[in-house]
Amino acid sequence: MKKHYNIVIVGSGAGGGTVANALIPLAQKGARIAILEQGPHYPHSFFTQREIEMMRLFRFNGAWPVTSGEITIAAGQGVGGSTLMYTGVSFRLPQDVLEVWKVPDLTYEDLSSRFNRIENDIHVVLPSEKMVNDNNRLFQKGCQQLGWPVKKIPLNIKNCQKVGFCNLGCDSGSKQGTLEVQIPKAVSAGIDLIPNCEVHYISKKKIFATIQNPPHGTLKGPYPSGNICFHSDIIVLAAGSPCTPGLLLKSGFQKTNPWIGRNITLHPAMTLYGVYPKPIVNYRGFPKTYYTDQFTDSHDYYIETAFYYPFVSSRHLGIWGRDLSETMSMYNQLMTVLVLNHDKVMPENRITINRKGMIQVHYKLNKQIISSLCHAQIQSALIFFAAGCERVIMPCASPHVIHRNKNNPKELKQLIQTQNFIPIKTPVSSAHPQGGCAMGAAGQSVTNSWGQVHGFPWLYVADASLFPKSAHVNPYLTVMALADRVGEHINENQNFLFNS
Amino acid sequence: MYQCKYIKGHRLKTILSAANCIIPAHHHLESAGTMNTIGVMDHAIAQMPAELRFQFLLFISIVHVLGIFFGGRCFSNNRQADQIRQLQWMERSMIRGFRMGFLGLKSYICMGYFTRESTWNGIHYCGPIKYDQTPPDPLIRELCQDKRKVCV
Repeated sequence: MKKHYNIVIVGSGAGGGTVANALIPLAQKGARIAILEQGPHYPHSFFTQREIEMMRLFRFNGAWPVTSGEITIAAGQGVGGSTLMYTGVSFRLPQDVLEVWKVPDLTYEDLSSRFNRIENDIHVVLPSEKMVNDNNRLFQKGCQQLGWPVKKIPLNIKNCQKVGFCNLGCDSGSKQGTLEVQIPKAVSAGIDLIPNCEVHYISKKKIFATIQNPPHGTLKGPYPSGNICFHSDIIVLAAGSPCTPGLLLKSGFQKTNPWIGRNITLHPAMTLYGVYPKPIVNYRGFPKTYYTDQFTDSHDYYIETAFYYPFVSSRHLGIWGRDLSETMSMYNQLMTVLVLNHDKVMPENRITINRKGMIQVHYKLNKQIISSLCHAQIQSALIFFAAGCERVIMPCASPHVIHRNKNNPKELKQLIQTQNFIPIKTPVSSAHPQGGCAMGAAGQSVTNSWGQVHGFPWLYVADASLFPKSAHVNPYLTVMALADRVGEHINENQNFLFNS
Repeated sequence: MYQCKYIKGHRLKTILSAANCIIPAHHHLESAGTMNTIGVMDHAIAQMPAELRFQFLLFISIVHVLGIFFGGRCFSNNRQADQIRQLQWMERSMIRGFRMGFLGLKSYICMGYFTRESTWNGIHYCGPIKYDQTPPDPLIRELCQDKRKVCV
């Protein structure tokens, strides 16, 4: 099967959805535009609030391991991409981070105006007091007692039901991800949405893909199952990192650009737990409303609130045996935080393709990250104790369970040490893979500041793989702003519409 | 009735014993080494890519055989103290494959246990608000609700 379009966007997450939205004026002028999504198109009724049933929203069930096995990556797979199962955190890229990125022609003024507009479109708000559940309230109390800044997290939510299942798909549609906002607008404007479409490789203005039958309970696309070749004047890759650089590698683009697959960062994260003396219902209400940036400059991490479901919690705890049974028997007393390290680009970390054509992420946790994560465990323990917890469970402590009588920085330092960090055993995850198609100057990067691949004017990238370094914060709003730039560049260079 | 496709014979005994070590009984929580846990695990193993499934099942067989070095007999026939010693050794092994294998085994046992509704009472988790939402896969829902008898 062959299909002709003027523009094909590969991916429907924060990047792909936003590009599609930005291209609505072109669609209204008659341009033929399609969005290809590898995963299914889930209706709200599909989201059953059960973690084992919703693991299918994630690639590799939410645990895509890097080759060293030291980190597992969680990435969404379905219309909406990772905005399908993120918590709606919508931070702006910090100005000092943009300055470190040093991307020619990418200014903070440009991004700011886009942030303003996108925040309005996707309804970014600071959560009201009604949104704050016990876990968040205790986090706020703990930070305040320690004299640390505690700030509200900007969220893109509307009429939130506060049921607490954001990471399993929002069944009320309150979370304003691309599944709710940008994609429906684009489809209404005549842009084709093609779910269950796996792209194998691209060549000049062609995309080779296979469409699968939609899984039971999901929405159908416009074309039947089978192999399909899309001819397109412009191709926009927004499959996310590591899939976008992986697709370019599979398609042989590394022969002309050796930077593809380089400059990756993952935001290595640890979820940490304390046990509060009485029941607190943390799995209901909104999981994330506060964070502290006390240690971002000195030790490269943020601490945010978080809360997860029983199976995922049991994995994050990093313990087993009597400790696990005892801790999980108090699941309704657990207080939780998420530590988000902003890692640095290392030359040995990169994306490649193996002999079978599978995307591989090569990543090792270096001493600096391990040291930062251990420091974060000590500080998190202080927050838990200041909030009133009786004990904490720290993966790098020996023993793992620390009781309240050890609540002072000196003793915690003795218990939580980097030598107790055993790669793979110590649970570290990533929900923010970035880089692999870095923006920058020609000869040192993959794309220019408009996401256009150097040497291939018909090919764009519009997702987190554009980041030349870590964004430090949750990346979705930054991805949307960069994707909006890609859309603008295509809009301004639309001669192809009339040439084809 | 649910008939296990992959967890049988020595692997069944090994996983049941390992599950009892990884999640032992505590107050109102029963231990994880039950056929209901096995049912959910077996269903999940059936969804794995074939190569990964082969590696996982091979690892279980290795755990079974390695028991000889920790208690003189295969894993499931050793005393629980020896089983725990073996699992601790694998978790901290210098060999990456053992650490990855142990993490996989532990994760699947936790999945088979903590996603089941009968466990939720013991951990004080109320479960989904929309309890009866149509399941994408009715079989896994029934296994998690202990509505299917699991056999080998």
